[in-house]
Amino acid sequence: MQDLTSSLKDVRGATCTANTPSDDVLLAQFARGDAAAARVLTDRLGPRSFSVALRMLGSRAEAEDITQEAMMRLWKMAPDWVSGQAKVSTWLYRVTMNLCVDYLRKQKPDRLADVPEPEDGQASVAERMQDKARKDALQVALSQLPERQRQAVVLRHIEELPNPEIAGIMGISVEAVESLTARGKRSLVAILSDRRGELGYDDD
Amino acid sequence: MTMTEDEKQLDQLLTQARQSRPELPDTLAVRILTDAEEVRLGQKTLAGKPARSLWTRIVDGVGGWRGMGGLVAASAAGVWIGFAAPGFLPDPATYIYGQETSFVLADLDTSFLEDTE
Repeated sequence: MQDLTSSLKDVRGATCTANTPSDDVLLAQFARGDAAAARVLTDRLGPRSFSVALRMLGSRAEAEDITQEAMMRLWKMAPDWVSGQAKVSTWLYRVTMNLCVDYLRKQKPDRLADVPEPEDGQASVAERMQDKARKDALQVALSQLPERQRQAVVLRHIEELPNPEIAGIMGISVEAVESLTARGKRSLVAILSDRRGELGYDDD
Repeated sequence: MTMTEDEKQLDQLLTQARQSRPELPDTLAVRILTDAEEVRLGQKTLAGKPARSLWTRIVDGVGGWRGMGGLVAASAAGVWIGFAAPGFLPDPATYIYGQETSFVLADLDTSFLEDTE
């Protein structure tokens, strides 16, 4: 286990260059028994799965479980992956989103989302508190959106994916993605507008 | 505050969210890599098994070497019966070719086929 952790530290921060193998190639290498390929894929794809799961669920512990399950499915799928048929990241986003939706549907409808911990660096205490309030406000507002709108907004405006890729992930048309993101943003504006006074925007 | 300003405010929040994407927790990375290792070792075990030859699969299919012995004995008996038919059995050649058949395809009742369509 120590070996795994130390290896992880080695690949952390590594940037994807032209010489870095593609996700396709790494997945094929893993399927042939290359453990190092799993470490690079985890470093490259794990954060994406975790990020969307955290935004969809609002709970760090649940997002971790979802990400672990999504990555497990990636490892098991590796021998059957046909290179070039789709992006591995698109496949992983789709699996993660489906797991999140399944999870949300099993929960009580009035469940309030937990909020993720702040990731701030050097900001002052006052700034951190205000920043946290704003992040929490966004998370609470996201949690009030219908699932499909939430998915579209998270993938488009936080993960910054192009609409055709979002359409592939969600299994809908590009037009439907555009409609969902537009409606999602309008809903978020309305929710945040109601809470504006609590967030201290006027201090900017 | 106008609607446009509200939208700008949302864009600001989304920008902050993009700039503070969470890193993968180390504990989660270890869990993921532990799973990967289990799957990798499992696949290696399966892949490491020697491929079974066609002959081995045929022998297994008829019940192993004991079944294979029975199959050989039955085949030998069939050949012997065909070569030297006992008196109490009719000659198969006469039985097949000794009488003309009056059976033609047009006699078949095909009405049941129409019912199924």
